[in-house]
Amino acid sequence: MAIINQATKELQVKIVYYGPALGGKTTNLVQVHDHVQTTAGNKGKLVSLATSSDRTLFFDFLPIEAVAIKGFKTKFQLYTVPGQVIYNTTRQLVLRGVDGLVFVADSQYDKMEENVKSFSNLEENLKALNLNLRDIPYILQYNKRDLPSAAPLEYMEFLLNNREVQVPSFQACANKCDGVFETLNMITRLLLHKFINESSRKAA
Amino acid sequence: MASLPQLIEEDVSEINRALQDLLLKSDAIMALLIDKGGFLITQCGDYNPFDTVTLAALSAASFAATQGIAGLVNEINFSSVYQQGESYSILVLNVDEYSLLTVVFKARISAGAVKYFADTTMREIATQLKVAQERDPDTGLDLSMLNMADPSAVFTKKKKRVA
Repeated sequence: MAIINQATKELQVKIVYYGPALGGKTTNLVQVHDHVQTTAGNKGKLVSLATSSDRTLFFDFLPIEAVAIKGFKTKFQLYTVPGQVIYNTTRQLVLRGVDGLVFVADSQYDKMEENVKSFSNLEENLKALNLNLRDIPYILQYNKRDLPSAAPLEYMEFLLNNREVQVPSFQACANKCDGVFETLNMITRLLLHKFINESSRKAA
Repeated sequence: MASLPQLIEEDVSEINRALQDLLLKSDAIMALLIDKGGFLITQCGDYNPFDTVTLAALSAASFAATQGIAGLVNEINFSSVYQQGESYSILVLNVDEYSLLTVVFKARISAGAVKYFADTTMREIATQLKVAQERDPDTGLDLSMLNMADPSAVFTKKKKRVA
């Protein structure tokens, strides 16, 4: 869970990008790393623990610092998980201490089954860590919208966002950086909103 | 997963004192206290040449992976990870439910000696974290004045340069 350090006035938050293999999770982080506007020194290195063929083996990691909020330096740590089914133990490890989630779905028709399975896998892995998706801010990103084989948005919403409480969803072409920052900003806002609600509940 | 308590200045200065003491006794280069989720909490020693934020994230991941391996061989007591290098060695130790201690030291120094001195440090840190845990939780972060209606983005894209 988020770290609040009153001594150094720091708030540290962990966001995990989850989704099926080759869906564009790493591309999201690469685009944030390449395009984020920062003042000097507050964008970390993008670390990728990947195979020789650039498939994520353990995780990708990008630390970035946002503007100071109420005097607190807000540090975000962005992680991806390996999407391939065999790396489930690794996905569980990366989910430890997660504060917010971005589910990156692949819009291609033939990837719908993988999207749905990956989403169920996310719920199972959270359960294994005694966490519940209902308690964690999360959003959906429908990536690869520019491909001709992309499924209609309504269909993806029906498959992945058909719940009691619908979450924000974004269309994206992560390789062109379209929708990447919109997604990141929304999950950030949801997280900060949650902290506000929690702090006011404690104060009450 | 349990969450690290909120830390105030008193906690951090007490933890830093314990870390400094460890560096002095063991002759290690730097010591980091990190959260098991991968956050860097505090650091002491000569840490400037190192990317400690990434070191913290990778130490936590490495420790978690080791715990996974321990489970596979029915071992419950893999409480540390040690890597010996040519110039530097690194030791990651389990402090408590929430945190880990990462110590970087010259390869010529024995890991056993570092582990011996770190034992006291870990106990001191665990005690301080317990104090923080038991403190009034209402003295937390006040974000109530934050204006959520503010439409400005937290992260913005770099503007493209016009030739």
